Amino acid sequence: MIGDNPWLDGLLRLLVIAVAIPLAVIVLNYLERKVIGRVQNRLGPMRVGPYGTLQAVADTIKLLTKEDVRPHSADRWTFELAPYVVVVPTVVALVTLPLTDDLFVRNLALGLFFILAVSTLSIVGLVMAGWGSDNKYAILGAMRSAAQLISYEIPLVMAAVAVAMVAHTPDGGRGSLDLVQLVDGQGRVPYIVWQPLAFFIFTVAALAELYRQPFDIPVAESEVVGGPFVEYSGMRWAMFMMAEYVNLVLLSALTAIVFLGGWNWPLGNEVGPALQVPLMAIKTALFILFFFWARAILPRLRIDQLMAYSWQVLLPLAFYQIIANGLVLVYDWPDVVLGVLSGAGAVAAMLLTYRMVRRPAPVRRPLAVAAASTREVRV
Amino acid sequence: MASTAPQHRHELETIDLHINVGPQHPATHGVFRMVLTVNGELVEDCDPVIGYMHRGNEKLPENCDYRQIIGYHDRTDYLAQFNTEWTYCLAVEKLMGLEVPERAEYIRVILGELNRVASHLMWAGAFGTDVGFFGTPFMYAFREREVIQDLFEAVTGERMMYNYFRPGGVAWDVPDDFEEHCRYVVDHVRRGLDDLDALMTDNEVFLARCRGLSPVTPEQAINWGLSGPMLRACGVKHDLRRAEPYSIYDRFDFEIPVGTQGDVYDRYLVRMEEMRQSLRIVEQALKQMPKNGPIMAEGLKRVLRPPAGEVYARTESPRGEYGVYIVSRGADKPWRHKVRGASFCNLSALREMVVGNYVADAIIILGSIDIVLCEVDR
Amino acid sequence: MLGILKTIAASVGIAARKPVTVQYPTERKELPQRSRGFPTLLWDFEHDEPFCTGCQVCARYCPTDCMTVTMKDNPKYAEGKSPRKKIVDTFYIDYARCMRCDICVEVCNFDAIVMDNTWRSVEMSRFDRQDLIMDLEALLRPSKTGQLKNPFREPMGVAHSGWRPKGEGAERGGEEE
Repeated sequence: MIGDNPWLDGLLRLLVIAVAIPLAVIVLNYLERKVIGRVQNRLGPMRVGPYGTLQAVADTIKLLTKEDVRPHSADRWTFELAPYVVVVPTVVALVTLPLTDDLFVRNLALGLFFILAVSTLSIVGLVMAGWGSDNKYAILGAMRSAAQLISYEIPLVMAAVAVAMVAHTPDGGRGSLDLVQLVDGQGRVPYIVWQPLAFFIFTVAALAELYRQPFDIPVAESEVVGGPFVEYSGMRWAMFMMAEYVNLVLLSALTAIVFLGGWNWPLGNEVGPALQVPLMAIKTALFILFFFWARAILPRLRIDQLMAYSWQVLLPLAFYQIIANGLVLVYDWPDVVLGVLSGAGAVAAMLLTYRMVRRPAPVRRPLAVAAASTREVRV
Repeated sequence: MASTAPQHRHELETIDLHINVGPQHPATHGVFRMVLTVNGELVEDCDPVIGYMHRGNEKLPENCDYRQIIGYHDRTDYLAQFNTEWTYCLAVEKLMGLEVPERAEYIRVILGELNRVASHLMWAGAFGTDVGFFGTPFMYAFREREVIQDLFEAVTGERMMYNYFRPGGVAWDVPDDFEEHCRYVVDHVRRGLDDLDALMTDNEVFLARCRGLSPVTPEQAINWGLSGPMLRACGVKHDLRRAEPYSIYDRFDFEIPVGTQGDVYDRYLVRMEEMRQSLRIVEQALKQMPKNGPIMAEGLKRVLRPPAGEVYARTESPRGEYGVYIVSRGADKPWRHKVRGASFCNLSALREMVVGNYVADAIIILGSIDIVLCEVDR
Repeated sequence: MLGILKTIAASVGIAARKPVTVQYPTERKELPQRSRGFPTLLWDFEHDEPFCTGCQVCARYCPTDCMTVTMKDNPKYAEGKSPRKKIVDTFYIDYARCMRCDICVEVCNFDAIVMDNTWRSVEMSRFDRQDLIMDLEALLRPSKTGQLKNPFREPMGVAHSGWRPKGEGAERGGEEE
């Protein structure tokens, strides 16, 4: 509690979040370009500012000064409100994200549920963006992104729920949705050891939620048309990008909290924020780096392959994980059994992925085409 | 009483969407237009529209003498310039009955094969971008292409439009450090190819996109007039360097990679392996090349006047069979100059290959044909 | 998953390598001697006049018709200071049309025109298309000021078929390859 006035305290915490978001976006944008540049054996931005550090600032200034274009036949309010519908839920979810034991704006007892549920509202914004743009590509992109995001939301939530089921609470019980309690329960062993399958599902689903490679088909419709974002320019487009980066921070931090032990493991709970915040930052940065790396080295899946992967591989495995956790809870087996069952599930996930890809695709016979002479020439 | 009201079948009414994959295509293939008729995600019909890049590449040389036309061939296939210049020079040499000296032949082979590697590298980079990589194979491929282009710049002076081969030989001799520069290039490119391999060949997501996509049977390939890596990926072991050896290709030991299914992944594998075989040819040529000797046929006048007649010469360019047909009436300018572009003939099969696949796959199939719009439209 | 693991391993190795970027324009790579920039005329320091006699062979062989050349009687010949009877009067090259094919260099009988192999002739961005039409003075400048140090003259080829200007002491100048 900063000071004695709870209003001041709340305001200051909110201010921290409000300042941290643009800062995070700017820093992450620059870092992404640098990391991807290094993977591609080249330097990233180097010109603007020392070593290109002011590149994102220059981009922001450019986006701010761009003309705000709206298609004439676009549905006005849908078009204009869509960026905000995408950004606001993500920011609201960020409000409940704890950085240490008491560095948060508001910690809810339903923290995990709240974050996942609220960040799902962004999907509505994407569909609004696609519909409001009155553009064929935008509608296609919006439909695809809605399909993808909803399909991957389910394994994401189920993997998180699986971990929440077996989380150790301070009073010795099991099962908690409170993020602080989740971290406290990982004092000795992080949950990634006991739940590798949930970790795998959560990471892959997070990649899809962020529409990054290999799941970025909604925003790469033929690689030039940006899917639902195609008609947006200037600051409205920047809002979408901001939502993407804030979501990135959110999901990385969430993974760090739920699976890697947050600020607790391995240093323990007593060391104070001076060491806990950097530890948390390092773990979040690890996952952010992983997401950047995946973007650089993986191509994109087609929409039907994407959906097939979610519904045919991730979802059954998530069910299996929940059932295994349930069995362990009911029969009160030690945690090692959890790790074994989950590990077996993770191996099965790898094998299933391998099999899905290696089997030859169904040979599609071209449909009977009419003779060329009967087609009229389109000018 | 029978109802006279019309029976309503509650079927969902759908219409086919016409998507214009427009002339401003995402940076990889040039100005090419495809009008796709799409039912949901399935492509029902594909109407390719070409001609945006037509510049009169066959008419304008009718006003140019035989040395000036070499520049036109550079610009017809701007990724495999040495191969196109070579075809043209072969045509004029056939017409005039010229004998090219040994050293010039070896220089032509080395530069032509390195140009094949450079062209396939460009294709690999662009194809990776089509499949969805965020530019990583593009950067790796272009890193190697830079090394090759540096060699070309050291020999000819230009990075792209070389204008170096002449009917009868080459324009000038290679620099003294050519051999060690070539060996450096070959080693560097081999390691770069390993990078590209590690990135793409076994990548599961890449396999999921390309494996089994639009397979073409050998009969279909021959009927549609495909040539080059497209044809070899279908299983037809036809390479003009073996079938009709031109220049000194019968002296080299190289393999012709052949695919099995003719799908996009096989085309990728064939091109990757072709690059390695080309490097093999370069190494052999470097060993066999005479240390000095003439690089131009004897007794050539400054202005070439081939005797009246017609000739068709073809070579194996990275895209397929590139042919040049010249009709000469004895003047210093050709009467008719025609170019058989490999990309044009390969592209004519696009409709059959794309229909029945998904929209995202249509882009990949187009990328796997490896078209160069200047060759398609001339 | 093995393929993706292989990709990750390879990319980690590649990310650790030194980046290949050459940060232009603060760093520039070294151009080889044969680098083909735009054509430029050579200055004969011995006789203090251009090598070019305005014979128009290059203009005739240019595939894009980008050159305009006229000649005049050489006043220095009348004074006995130079072996060239005629000298170039005006010489215009439209760099916007030139395709740097090098044919003008090949056919020149006096070795008076070469391709400029410095960075200056590659960085030819102008704001107005008219600024790309170079006149005689602009074409002679690189050679006169000594910026053009080592142009490439090909020793063999169709051009050097052994032809020499009749009578003159073969004032060839320029460097041999």
